[in-house]
Parts: sequence; C-alpha cells; structure tokens
Amino acid sequence: MGIQELFSTYGENYLQALVQTWSMTAISFSCALVIALAITVFRVSPIKPLRILGDFYVQVFRNIPGVSLLVIIIYALPYLGLTLDYKIGAMVTVTMVVASFASENLMTGINTIGVGQIEAARSVGLSFGRILRHVVIPQAVRSAILPMTNLLIGTLLTTALASQVPLKPPELTGMVNYVNSRSVGGIGAFFISAIGYAGTSLVIGYVGNLIDKKVRILR
Amino acid sequence: MSAHVVSMRDALYEAPGPKMRRRIRVVTIFALALIAIGIALVVRQFHITGQLDPRYWTLFTRTTTWAFLAQGFLGTFRVAFTAGAIALVLGLVLMLGRISEAAWLSTVSRLVIDFFRGVPSLLLIYFFYLVIPKYGIKMPSFWMITLPVALAASGVLAEVFRAGVNAVPKGQSEAALSLGMSDSKIMFKIVFPQALRIVIPSLVSQLVVVVKDTTVAYVVSYPDLMQNARVLISNYDALVSMYFVVAIIYIIVNFAINQFSIYLAHRRGTKIISRNDENPV
Amino acid sequence: MSDAIIQMNHVDKHYGALHVLKDINLEVARGEVVVLIGPSGSGKSTLCRTINRLETIDAGEILFEGTPLPQEGKDLAAVRAEIGMVFQSFNLFAHKTILDNVTMGPIEVLGTPKAKAREEAMELLRRVGVDSQAEKVPAQLSGGQQQRVAIARSLAMNPKVMLFDEPTSALDPEMINEVLDVMVELAQQGMTMVVVTHEMNFARRVANRVVFMADGAIVEEAAPDEFFDHPKSDRARDFLNSIMGH
Repeated sequence: MGIQELFSTYGENYLQALVQTWSMTAISFSCALVIALAITVFRVSPIKPLRILGDFYVQVFRNIPGVSLLVIIIYALPYLGLTLDYKIGAMVTVTMVVASFASENLMTGINTIGVGQIEAARSVGLSFGRILRHVVIPQAVRSAILPMTNLLIGTLLTTALASQVPLKPPELTGMVNYVNSRSVGGIGAFFISAIGYAGTSLVIGYVGNLIDKKVRILR
Repeated sequence: MSAHVVSMRDALYEAPGPKMRRRIRVVTIFALALIAIGIALVVRQFHITGQLDPRYWTLFTRTTTWAFLAQGFLGTFRVAFTAGAIALVLGLVLMLGRISEAAWLSTVSRLVIDFFRGVPSLLLIYFFYLVIPKYGIKMPSFWMITLPVALAASGVLAEVFRAGVNAVPKGQSEAALSLGMSDSKIMFKIVFPQALRIVIPSLVSQLVVVVKDTTVAYVVSYPDLMQNARVLISNYDALVSMYFVVAIIYIIVNFAINQFSIYLAHRRGTKIISRNDENPV
Repeated sequence: MSDAIIQMNHVDKHYGALHVLKDINLEVARGEVVVLIGPSGSGKSTLCRTINRLETIDAGEILFEGTPLPQEGKDLAAVRAEIGMVFQSFNLFAHKTILDNVTMGPIEVLGTPKAKAREEAMELLRRVGVDSQAEKVPAQLSGGQQQRVAIARSLAMNPKVMLFDEPTSALDPEMINEVLDVMVELAQQGMTMVVVTHEMNFARRVANRVVFMADGAIVEEAAPDEFFDHPKSDRARDFLNSIMGH
C-alpha cells in the first residue's frame, strides 16, 4: 500500500494516534515532574529515612524495564486488588519511570550550584527559605532545561509501551500493528508512525534548545 | 586547606542547632513510622489477596525454575551483548560521518542519528517483525530483536562518542598537527583513544538501556528472560510472584551495570554523559 | 576587654579524629585588623569560618559583641547580617547580575526598598571600581572584578566585622593588587577585619596584629613588624623562611 493510499484509508486513525501519543506524553510528563519534585525534596532533606526512600525510588524505577513494570501494573496488580484502565495503567508506567529520571535531572541541577553560593547566601543572613527561593531553585530549574527536554523526548518514545496493551484508539506504535492486521501496510505504515515520532522529537528538541539558550546560566 | 568536601545535598542544610536537631529527630521517627506502615499495608494486601500462599512461591525453590530463568537470562544477555557490539560499531561510523568535513556526509549522518534517536525502539522492532517479512526476507527472531535494538542505541552512542571527541582538549590535535600528522592519523591515534577513555562510563551506562530494550523480545517470540518467565507463569499459574521476581532480577542487573559505570567514571575522574546531557536532536 | 567585638574562649574543634582547632583564645577589638597566617592545614580558614558559624565548634564559646553566637534560626541570621564574609572562590550568585548580587542582602534581609538598595549598591560598586559592570553576570567578569563585587556585596549589609578567607589565593597575580587595594582602603576607614591570607606585604601595611597558627593552635601573636622581623617561635621562623625563600 502506498503512502497516499494509507493516508486516505487510515488518515483519520493516524491523526487520532498522534493525538493519543501526544496526550499520553504530556500527561505522563507533567505528573512525572510533580512526583519528581516530591522525590527530590525527600532526597535532599536532612531526614535520613526520606532520603533513603527517595533514593530507593529512583534506583528501582530507573533500572526497571518499561515492559516489566507495565506487566506488573496491568496484569499483576489486579490480583492484588487494583485494576487500572489500560490507558491509565500505561500512563502510570511511563510516569513512574520518567519521574525517576526527572529527579536525577533536578539533583544534577542542584549539584551544579555549588556549596560556595549557599555559604555566601548564609553569610549575608538569608534564611533557608530565602536561599531556596532566590539561589537554589532558580538555578536548578534553569540548569535542568536541556536534560528535561531530552527527558520529554524520552517520554514520547516510552509511550510506545502502550502498544503492548489494547488501547482504543491505538497510539502511533500500535498503529503499525493496526494497519498491518487489516491490510498490507508495508514500509508506509511504519514510516508514517516514525515520522510522527521523529518530527515531534525534532520540534521538542528545537524549542528546548531555544529556551535553554535564553535561560542558561553562564558559569 | 583542611576543607573536607561536602556534597550539595549535605550542604543545603547547615549544622543544626539544638532546636533543629529535636525537630529533625521527631520528623525522622514520624517518617520511619509512616514507611513501616506503608510496607505493612503492602504486605497485608499481598496476604489478603492470597498472593502469599506457598503455591505461588514454592516454584522458586526448584532448581528447574531457576535453570529455565537462567536460560532466559542467557538469551537476554546474548541479545544485549550483540546489540551493544553492533551499536558501538555503527555509532562510531555515524559519529565519524557526523563530524566529517564533507557537508553531504555530515548531513546524512546527522539525519540518520536524529532518526534513530527520535523513534522508539519498539517501533523499529515492529518494522523488523511485521514489515521485513512482507518483503520476503526470512530473519531469525534473534536478529529481529537484536538489530532494531542496536539501531536505536547506535544513534545515542554516536552522540556519546561525539561528546567524547569534543571533550578531548584541542591542544592534543594541535600538537599532533604540528608534528606533521595527517588528519585521519590524528583522529585514530590521538583523539579517538582519548575520547574512548572519556566516554567508557557513559557507554557502559547505555548498556542498561539496551538491556531494558531486550524485554520486548517476546514480540518477536525470542526466548529472553521475560519470555521464559511467561512460560513459567502459564505452567505454575504464579503470575504475581514471577513478575515481581523477574522485575527484581532486572533491577539488580541494571543497578549493577550502573554502579560499574560510576566506578569507571570515578577511576578516570570523568563524569557520565547520558542521553539527558547532550543537546536534544 | 569589653571593647572586643569578637571573643573566642577555649574553642576546640574536631573533624572526626583530626583535631583542627586546639584551645583557641582570640580577641578582636573594634577597628582592629587581624591577619591569620600559617601553613596549609593549620586551621586558620576553619577558625575564620567558625566566627559566623559556617563551621561549628565542639567546645568553648564565641562571643560577638559580648553575647554568645546563636546556634540557629533568626538570631543566627541576624548576627550573620552584621558579619560580612569574603570567600576565596568569590561565590557570587551566578544567575544574578552584579547589581542584583549586591542588592539581594539589603532587600531580602534588611528590608531596604528596591530603589534605595540599588542606589546604595551602585555607590558601593563605584567605590570598589566595578560600577561599569553592574548589569553583567559574574561569569563575564574577571576574578579580580568578581572578588571586588563580593566585597561590595558584604559591605552592602553595613557589617560591623568583615571576614576574609584567603581572598586573593584564587586570583591571577596581576589581579591581586586591585583587590588588596580595596581591602587596604577598608582598613584605613576603620573596618574591623579578620583576614586569612598569605600576602605578607598587605599584613605589614595594615594589620594591627598577626596571628600565626600551626596544627590547629595559635603559636604566636605580635604586631606585624615584630612578627616578620623577629619571630619568637621556631615554627614561625621555619614558616617565614620557607615562604620568603625566593
């Protein structure tokens, strides 16, 4: 089937798949950021059990393969009394994994600030809250823009996991299956999905780079 | 000076005075209690849904179970190792193309790298699994999983190599030039060996990504760890326990690889360049 | 002795097994310029940093204007606002302009209204000679310029004492003098200063007292000329020989 034909037959499905992929990416990423914020606060706090908990979370969810986590959430949790909708289950999987990397990015951002500035702020008489607000957080966030941009692209690619569960409508990767089970999609079907991903990645990368250039801190 | 190096996360809070110490102690105990309750609740949930029943766990006392899992792990290892090796070579080639002086080569390489970095490995796997057979090419399942994983990783590795090359001090190639070395000699004898040394920790940590990608091997019906776990599940009807055990195995393996790469980085005094550090696309 | 703005009595500190401050007794009077010198690892930096509690002490007491140094909270922050500190690595806020670096303290801690803070900051930057750089960020300035901004940042808080922890050790040689000149001017204007440094000429010029430390203890204290020309202890003599050597 040529690309033309594919578009006329499945054009609408592809559009839906693109939106599905984009929405899953956006929602998962935002939730991941919120979770990462909490985890990072734990990891940075002076309370040892919280630090260990945060570090543990990061080690578990950055090392677990997406598929392994997905099958646990979708197939094992129901036996433990928690049954999630397919789409939600897939998004939870993506969110939990992405949150661990996001926390690592935030930690790296915090580490680039350097102990010296904190001491200088303290010597001037700034309170801890003010130090966070005026010295730590602005710098950590600005330093994390590039890594977070890459992570957003990573999130986009990770949503492909959702193709392993029956999603209606399917997302971009699931579309290859969808088309192939209904017609002879050939390279075309794969290609359209690939362009969907690659194109989105490019745009995200471009925008991220722009933002980073604007807010990057010279050191 | 006598300065003892303090990490940022310890320096964020200064040495607490008596009031602060009391507060920290209280919150610490509170946090411990909450965590203990959390763990208890999870264990309780396992219990009331019957998942702690021995029939779900005795299979792990049998050596046949572990032998079969080990076989699966061997499959994972074969794919990861082969894919990693191919990705290294391919990544190298792509990097060289990317930094070449010839504009056309640089552009094409850049497109290929960005393409492989911009699409999920799962999509590539479907390409090999669904699309390639339609063109009459018969490919064993091993290659159906190994090649796409290798391709996806090669894009990332190409950028890791490039970051390594950029990290080699310019003075090195300048000194070589002044000795009369040709460009290709400089690249292969001076710059590249040093770049390699700089990026070895990053390369090792990329291995983790490759291992994770192998878990989709069931799509192409290749017997890796995940796949063998599934077989055991259908045999013993021990879904929850098996999936958790396998997850733990993967976590430990990947954790070990990451720790190894950190160890390598510390030995060299370099830092680990990850997918998140370099410029996006 | 009630004129002493800083008093350290029997101060002791350990880093694990290392005894870094041994029974330190030191007084600094208002308007005095005290220079701390000694070999690496002698504890002089640590001593300096205990004065504004960037380092804690295990035993003894440190009095600021007659009252013991607060251990935490608002009281400690208030005392720190009155003690200025200049660091070896400048430690300017990398994400803020030079002007914002200087106004941050007055605005956030002293509650000075923005316009007034900026006016006074510009005046301070003029005093140290970097007013033309006010809208730049620290990375765009040379080391000497950054350090002068750091001094201005401390001065903006109207401190009663200023601590200098090896202020010129991280500077290229040609920039050391521009910073020392500012420090000399401060001394001549009556600022109470505690300076950890290797710059002997500076000590000779403006120090009221030189305190020589080794292995965590104060070995000798004397007026600069007396100390440099007639050191009393062997330790001091060896140290001076080793650095005057070339």
